[in-house]
Amino acid sequence: MRDFAGKILSTLLTVTIAVGVSGALWVLANLLVNRMRDRSVRATYISRALTGFVVAGVLSGNRLTQYSTAAPGASFVGSFIQWIWLPIVVAVAVSASSFVTERQQRRERRIIVDVLLIGTVGGVLGALLVDTARPNVVPGEVALVAVFSILFFGAIGATVHRRVRTLGVLRMALLGAVAGLVLGAWGVGDLGASSTRSGIVLGAIIGCLVGARWALIPAVSGEHRVATERRARAAVFLAPALGFIAIALVIPSLRTIYLSLLDRRGSKFVGIDNYLSIFRNPKAWDTSRFGLLWTSRLTVASGVCFLVFVLLAVRSRRRSGHFVEFGSASAPPLILAVMFAGFAVFSTLRGTLVNTLWWVFVVTALSTGLGLLIAVLADGVRFERSAKAIIFMPLAVSMVGASVIFRLVYISRDASKPQSGTLNALWVGLGRLSTGEGFARLLVGAVVLIPTGLALLAATRSLVRRQWTKIALPAAVAGGGIWFSLRYWQLVGTGLGGQRVGKSGEIIADPINFLQEPPFNNFWLMLVLVWIQTGFAMVIFSAAIRAVPRELTEAAAIDGADTQQIFWRVTMPQIGPTIGVVATTIMVLVMKVFDIVKVMTNGNFGTEVLSNNMYREAFYNLNIGLGAAIAVLIFVSVLPIMYINIRRMNRTI
Amino acid sequence: MKRSRRAFGALFALALVATACGGSSDEASDTVTAEEEAVEEEAAPAGKTEITVTGPERSDEEAGALQDALNVWGDANGVTVTYLGDADWETNINTQVQAGNAPDISIVPQPGKLADFARAGLIVPLTDEVNASIEWSDAWKQFGLVDGQQYGVPMKSDLKSLVWYQPSRFAEAGYEVPTTFGEFTALVDKMAADGGAKPLCVGIESGTATGWTYTDWVEEMVLRQHGADVYDQWVAHEIPFNDSRIVESMQAVLDLWTEDNVYASGGTIAATAFQDNGQPLVDGDCYMHRQASFYSAFIPAGTVFGDGPGEVNVFYFPDINGDKPVLGAGVLAVAFNDDANVMSLMSYMGSAQYAMERQQAQATRKGGNGALSGFLSAAIGQDPSIYTPLEQSFLKILETAAIVRFDASDLMPADVGAGTFWTDGTSAVNGDLTAQEAADAIEASWPG
Repeated sequence: MRDFAGKILSTLLTVTIAVGVSGALWVLANLLVNRMRDRSVRATYISRALTGFVVAGVLSGNRLTQYSTAAPGASFVGSFIQWIWLPIVVAVAVSASSFVTERQQRRERRIIVDVLLIGTVGGVLGALLVDTARPNVVPGEVALVAVFSILFFGAIGATVHRRVRTLGVLRMALLGAVAGLVLGAWGVGDLGASSTRSGIVLGAIIGCLVGARWALIPAVSGEHRVATERRARAAVFLAPALGFIAIALVIPSLRTIYLSLLDRRGSKFVGIDNYLSIFRNPKAWDTSRFGLLWTSRLTVASGVCFLVFVLLAVRSRRRSGHFVEFGSASAPPLILAVMFAGFAVFSTLRGTLVNTLWWVFVVTALSTGLGLLIAVLADGVRFERSAKAIIFMPLAVSMVGASVIFRLVYISRDASKPQSGTLNALWVGLGRLSTGEGFARLLVGAVVLIPTGLALLAATRSLVRRQWTKIALPAAVAGGGIWFSLRYWQLVGTGLGGQRVGKSGEIIADPINFLQEPPFNNFWLMLVLVWIQTGFAMVIFSAAIRAVPRELTEAAAIDGADTQQIFWRVTMPQIGPTIGVVATTIMVLVMKVFDIVKVMTNGNFGTEVLSNNMYREAFYNLNIGLGAAIAVLIFVSVLPIMYINIRRMNRTI
Repeated sequence: MKRSRRAFGALFALALVATACGGSSDEASDTVTAEEEAVEEEAAPAGKTEITVTGPERSDEEAGALQDALNVWGDANGVTVTYLGDADWETNINTQVQAGNAPDISIVPQPGKLADFARAGLIVPLTDEVNASIEWSDAWKQFGLVDGQQYGVPMKSDLKSLVWYQPSRFAEAGYEVPTTFGEFTALVDKMAADGGAKPLCVGIESGTATGWTYTDWVEEMVLRQHGADVYDQWVAHEIPFNDSRIVESMQAVLDLWTEDNVYASGGTIAATAFQDNGQPLVDGDCYMHRQASFYSAFIPAGTVFGDGPGEVNVFYFPDINGDKPVLGAGVLAVAFNDDANVMSLMSYMGSAQYAMERQQAQATRKGGNGALSGFLSAAIGQDPSIYTPLEQSFLKILETAAIVRFDASDLMPADVGAGTFWTDGTSAVNGDLTAQEAADAIEASWPG
């Protein structure tokens, strides 16, 4: 108990000190900015001196932490004094050299003076570092980190300055070179046991770069002082947030990229081998079944839909001049054809990468499509609120929770036992009905026959009246109903549902093993995410539809447009950007899908996706390099979508 | 205006650097305090007062008895020992070790993984004192031996080559216990032809370890069809995994596991949890279930072991060449630090006293009265009377069999033995891969 109280006390103390120090630093920085407008030359000296102090302090920092390990008798104060003198000397030297530079007016002279002076300071700093603070430099690694850092900062420079300006990019690239060299040498390499020469060389190079960077700043002119203060203030306020982003996001990502270039134990540099092995893995791309594509039922379905599309498109072209447009009769068959074709291709290709793409394709299309459909249909009907609430609710269920629920829905038991999974209970129950006798069989059959008949009637009527656009839906319903009835009454085949005929002619339950029968077990997993995400899409679309100005729809109505035309030609273009944002948001989410696969199949039975593969490699097989490479691959493939998403969001909201 | 932004830009870059370096100096100061504590503690020579042990065993009986046995030592030494059974132990131990919050002791079922840990410097070797105190034969201790140093303490032995059955049902249907593999397959065919209950109960689902039951069957077949020498070469990767002999054994298992032969309560073999085969065996949904000695822990409580009506017994999974090979397995405790109390607990875990405490606790938890506990230990110096006669016969088989081999998948590198052998094996069982394709894929994944 005393132990526990002590821990709480020491934690409190640490937190208080950390908060206090950060707060004090922040207030100090603000005070500094306050003075900046009036005394900007002096502010320059101070900020450079601070920079020098921090650099020297960090680089020689482990002297401070060594006091008990190196010399048992050493005290903290003693080590502190031993540590503090070098940063102070460097700070003074840096601000003195700035003083000299500021006396020079011409840029060339400024550059020469600054590079020489700060370079010397850097070299001296390198020489004065104690052995244990000197990095064991591996030139390859340092160069790699430096190059990456230059590109990184250069890219930031190019973005920040909007129009690419050589000078701006050059300045950021110099900054990148400095950060990269420091990180590459002191962050990546082991400290200690290296020659004085390497310390001096590295210090001098870094110093020269810093000098060049500073010399590129024009001499104080006084006209930008107000703006300077504003920007400096912004920087001070941003610094904490940027710091957190750096700790939690930037540094881990950089480290992941670095690890992805190392071998499985994270010790040897292997270049892009890990990336190659992702694509070389036979389980990433399996094209051996691609030949089945041409004979698969999905291909046939896609072809039929495409034929229907072509017929309708020719008609549509004659009428409106377009083969296909929003709301034209030719659009649904085209969408169906694309969906079926996508399914056909994905179900014949197998593998981790293919599965991930399949997820992106299906979940994005279904969630967005269903969400839009529900938002439109529910708009203004009587139970709109409760209906939407029910559809929205799954979003509150965690992915793991949803996966566990759906496992129970999909589960199958041995054929001789009652099925406890909802879907299989229905499926096997239908099989029983279809092959059984009695009232229930008649009832189900009749219930299906009535809508089938009605749909058939409606389709025939439209056919007679030549209302081509109204045929599709009833025809599809009637077709489905007829097919169901033919199978159900055993006019074709041996009945419908989960049953099959055993060796001696008896009828056996035949449950579907939803989670284990590739390739469509992937689809059953995707449905879980669709179930969750549809609510999200629906809510956003509802809001977007509401936000369409009434004047527009009213004007269209006065012009004589019917409901369909108003929706397709007025509402849809208005909510187009929202659809883009929702689709890209879902896409990013799907790229990272992990929980569902992990909980439901753990990537077995051909359902592996990139995220689970990464987890398996990194934490299960302890193949750190490959795991990091997969993580980087996911990261990189999400980036463009993120970029588009953020740009769209900025535009629409 | 431009100048200050740049200055702060530079500061930001330095902040990056500072945080990067700051992290390491923080760690350094942490170790400093740890060392300080260690110095303080040297004055009063006592180790940790709270010790955490993790492992894959998690059923109430197994984990409970393990905890009971550890408590005996903990109570005597004033240390709180906590056992945490973990369904995803294989993954989580890696994460814990990587994150630097490893338990004090973990119980490893795979010598292959133990060797990985030892070579990565993640676990500490036993002190000479503890090593000398282990009351197990060298044959068992060698599975915890890596590069000449003892890391693991054997804690449990399992006998795998067993078939569970109900003698009364055999008698009812007029079946004889098979004594050769030919008789075994003939019996399976006869049972399948007779209809009614299926010959075998098989289930290979086991969370992230799904597939290990299949690997056990394959190992049994390799031992029976090709002998111990091929088995050893296979484990050591002196012959490739997709050697025709290994593929033959993999195929032999698949041939036996046809729909007519197997009752799978989960719908398919791969969907049936390995724990879920005890109930159907007792219920009479199947006649036989090949599983290790520890499986008695999963036979429904209250089931009596013997030859009477409704009782359950075992027979030796018959061999082909008459050399009676036996497949065994076991678990080993490894320590992640060399704290004095942790080492002393390791010594206790390797003792006959621990084995007896655990056996008695587990037997009591299973209902006592001669119930099989599911625990078995080959520790030297135990009082044999705490085991039932059947369990004593298991021990005797382990001690006297001419050919005893450790579970191959546990000896192979974790990528294979706890990785592709399970996953690709599962694919083969599901029919997504042929035996040859699965063997090729496993061979390709062998780290080299």
